[in-house]
Amino acid sequence: MSQVITNRSRTSRRSLLKGMTAAGARIAVGLPPLASMFNAAGTAYAAAPATGAAEKPIETRFVLWFNGNGIPERYWIPSEEGTDYELTPCLSPLAAWRKDVHVLSGVDNAAANGKGNGHTNSMSGLMTGTDFTGRGPSGPSIDQIIAAKIGTDSRFRSLQIGVAQESFGESMQRNMSWAGYERALPPEMIPHRLFDRLFGAQEEGWVNRKRSILDAVLADASALEKKLPGEDKTRVEEHLSGIRDLERAIAGLPPEYRKVEAPDFDGDMKDWPRIAKLQSDLLVQALATHQTRVASYMLTKCQSITRFPWLGYTSARHHDYTHAEGKTAGADGVEGQRVLRDICRWHVEEFAYLVSKLESVPEGDGTLFDHTSLIYTHEHAEANPHKNSGLAMIVAGGSKKLAKGAHTRVTGTVGDVYVTVADEVVGAGIGKFPTASRKMGALLT
Amino acid sequence: MVLLKRLGLIGVSAGALCAQSTSFGSGLYAVMEKANCRACHTVDGVASATRLHMPETDATPAMVEAFGKSLVVLVDRKNPEASLLLRKPTARVAHAGGEKIKPGSEDEAVLKAWIGQLARLSGSELDAAMHFREQEDKGSGAASQDAELRRLTHSQYNHTVRDLLGDQTAPSNQFPPEDFINGFRNQSRGQSLSPLLVEAYSSVAERLARSAFQGGDTHGLVPCKPSAACRARFVREFGLKAFRRPLDAGEQKRYEGLMARETDFLKGAQLVVEAMLQSPNFLFRLDATTDPKLKPWATANRLSYSLWDTMPDAELFAAASRGDLSTRAGVEKATRRMLADPRAKESLNDYVSQWLRFDRLLTASKDRRKFPLYTRETANAMTEEARTFFSDLVWNNGNFMTLFTADYGYVSPELAGIYGVKAPAKDFDKVPFPAGSERAGLLGQGLFLALTAKPEESSPTARGLFVREQFLCQKVPDPPPGVNTNLPPVTEAKPQTNRDRMTEHATNPSCATCHKLIDPIGFGLEKFDAVGARRDQVSLQFRTTKGGGRGAPPKTINLDINTVGTVAGLPDSQFSSPAELGAVLAKSPLCQECVVKQYFRYTAGRVETPADRPVILQAVEDFRKSGYKFQEMIVSLTLQREFSGRNTKQEGAIHVASNH
Repeated sequence: MSQVITNRSRTSRRSLLKGMTAAGARIAVGLPPLASMFNAAGTAYAAAPATGAAEKPIETRFVLWFNGNGIPERYWIPSEEGTDYELTPCLSPLAAWRKDVHVLSGVDNAAANGKGNGHTNSMSGLMTGTDFTGRGPSGPSIDQIIAAKIGTDSRFRSLQIGVAQESFGESMQRNMSWAGYERALPPEMIPHRLFDRLFGAQEEGWVNRKRSILDAVLADASALEKKLPGEDKTRVEEHLSGIRDLERAIAGLPPEYRKVEAPDFDGDMKDWPRIAKLQSDLLVQALATHQTRVASYMLTKCQSITRFPWLGYTSARHHDYTHAEGKTAGADGVEGQRVLRDICRWHVEEFAYLVSKLESVPEGDGTLFDHTSLIYTHEHAEANPHKNSGLAMIVAGGSKKLAKGAHTRVTGTVGDVYVTVADEVVGAGIGKFPTASRKMGALLT
Repeated sequence: MVLLKRLGLIGVSAGALCAQSTSFGSGLYAVMEKANCRACHTVDGVASATRLHMPETDATPAMVEAFGKSLVVLVDRKNPEASLLLRKPTARVAHAGGEKIKPGSEDEAVLKAWIGQLARLSGSELDAAMHFREQEDKGSGAASQDAELRRLTHSQYNHTVRDLLGDQTAPSNQFPPEDFINGFRNQSRGQSLSPLLVEAYSSVAERLARSAFQGGDTHGLVPCKPSAACRARFVREFGLKAFRRPLDAGEQKRYEGLMARETDFLKGAQLVVEAMLQSPNFLFRLDATTDPKLKPWATANRLSYSLWDTMPDAELFAAASRGDLSTRAGVEKATRRMLADPRAKESLNDYVSQWLRFDRLLTASKDRRKFPLYTRETANAMTEEARTFFSDLVWNNGNFMTLFTADYGYVSPELAGIYGVKAPAKDFDKVPFPAGSERAGLLGQGLFLALTAKPEESSPTARGLFVREQFLCQKVPDPPPGVNTNLPPVTEAKPQTNRDRMTEHATNPSCATCHKLIDPIGFGLEKFDAVGARRDQVSLQFRTTKGGGRGAPPKTINLDINTVGTVAGLPDSQFSSPAELGAVLAKSPLCQECVVKQYFRYTAGRVETPADRPVILQAVEDFRKSGYKFQEMIVSLTLQREFSGRNTKQEGAIHVASNH
């Protein structure tokens, strides 16, 4: 069996970082590369004469961030364009980071017009640029397209992380990442399970034992695959590729992984703001320790029906509030829109938390945030009419290539945003996306 | 433009047309597709009870042409102008779908021309056209696409590791959840393997293998004293159970090799167990096969996973290896034995919880201010009542259609309050509904009424949809994209009942087509509120808007309810209560057929195709003849699936092969 350990994970030096999570839990995880690993200017990994490795640029990362339902446009989209825009109530949590984010409006979801219930077709178009089949999208999502280009050397090609567990909905509502035609990649929603995947401790000899087992399983799967027709084959192939991913993840385990202590996960597992922050902490650590370069983060589901006890809104669910039309008085009208405003502000708050955490991790001459690009999106613009033209999005990241600090009403599609960020900022070289036709100049310096 | 030219021709003289004949595929078919007849008129569409079923979108030109000719049954050959085929789509007579083709339009001219052509059909051509529908019943199209491999569902996984290793921890509850597709969580289309699931399989396998040998071979998995021969025997015997078929030589060698990596016998056995639990041969089960050697094992797997939701037992394995499962009598004997086993009850519990969407009620919540007594316990009681009711009809061989007409429920203290009856001494004992309650069967019980409602108010649309999809097997199209599906809010200034409010659906043409078929079903059930309690008036509460109005008493307005409902497309289907709707459904052939179809979808892991028609019709026929005994339907469907269609053809092939 081939060893898939990358040069980087062999040469990386890690020690323990002991810090506090937002929820107050102690977390101890592999520390990001030390200063001595970088070149003198801190702009790249130092060359390693002993192994003959040349100087390597610090890798870029990509995070696709999503929460369900749309927004109340009047409380979310700034009225002014350019750098002097006034932060709207929903965007106010980003006040400290306004120089780091670019707020976009007017983005079209060009593939959202297929059949579906409004949410499902929009979601399919948003994530994959393809039509909703009735069960899922017809192609891979943008994070997977990027992961296929830049994720293959990491321990995990990509990570799917979720927060609010909702039993409502079918595949299209419950997943944002898709491997391909109707193939959902469900997010890991439970912090301690995510921790175990990233840093789970194992006894001595575990890796070798696991490898010999997976070898036998791989042999079974390969033998079976040869005998099967069509659709059956696809599923066994999926299994096969899952086993290979697992092998790679095991081979790429950081050498000191056994020393890591788990944070305290006790507490209310339905306290979404707390879970959101735990998941963000883990995501940041996964990126910092080079376990992956690509992640999707699903705060709430598409057509979400979460409740908001911490905001004081318990009488209805998220989706119910989104259908407040904002014209008449009462819960179905103006009042409901104000509730929606507070809900959407909470979403942005969690996004801001992730940005702040990325900024807190030093890397080279800057921070992890400098090497990370984030796109924040929802399946609708104005929520009530299921509007899927003129979406509002946030592009964030520390890269000097990304134009920031502004609100721009753009002409273009979500595909244009994706390809611009993926190719010009992340450097993934994806080249195309179903709904992309041109690069979006406004996003670039 | 071709169309216009042809129309020009039609305009010249009707006489000239007699000699002309155009093809259906190039003419009227396109018009019908444009009018979107397909939205309702398909075998599983809302108009499935009519005589017009559009062919599949991938139908061959010959099939489309045959379908075109079959429309002759809707033509009045003496007086073509009076044909239903003309008068329905142009809304000259009542058409639930409204006016789809404009009178006087070019499209209508194409329609009229085709009707003219059909009116002149004669001889064998006419005969074939008149009997098209019977052909449809004999099955058409590609043979059913049964996958050869089906992934164990999460529930099957739990049951299988229980039977294989004695594990009682239901490990799959921790797996990424399965999604509902075609109304069930076990459909082939939904069985993809995400990396997260593969990882979960791996870590659970590790844990299960460890606990299987904790403190030695406590579960008796090793059949002999440790030795090289015993190693081979362990791999062979455990492998047979884990893969539910004999291992081939390569597998036997591979797993013996793996086991030999550990010097300690039990540690080696643990390796084998851990690896096998991650193998596709364990995680997928054979369902159909073209390999004659594997056929009996595929049959055993199919029987045990469809009837028991778990792996075969020793007796079924023995039957497979003896060849008993290659005959009808053998399969029937096995089926009846298995139905008498408690595992069959467990399996049907899973079925009913999906068919009736228990999940929707268990995860929904109700407005606490309006329904202070409704709790999670109430929801649990409602599902328990439905399960008890269903089980009683199935396992005591009652007339299954009583599901819609029974004048009793199975009551717990939570339900007694809602039904207005005294709680029985023992929870979930049978209790007659009060006289005049108008409740009957499922439609009068809490589960259906509460799960098809919003948190604060009943939803005629959700109730109508549930009846169409769950009990009539009719697919209702999604709302057109971009439509605001929100109704105007009810205000104090303009208090409205659901019926009045929803007339919006009926006046807005983009909504009307479908909602006229859905909402009136729910209107007939409006005497039951969002938790299934009876009401004679609908009571609207308005709170003052200032400061959220907490604490201030709400203003209440009571409105009378008109509960006349109808199931468009079903004859004599006017009703005004759950009891009356239940009677309509119980005697409706469409509903009876749907009971069979739903079970078919669950066991086959897919929706039926035209090729499955004969199998389903035969099962419906047997169901009817048995006096609607659900178990007899299961036996019939099991035999049909095993010995008709693709399987029969395979048996032919096997026969030839064995002659070599």
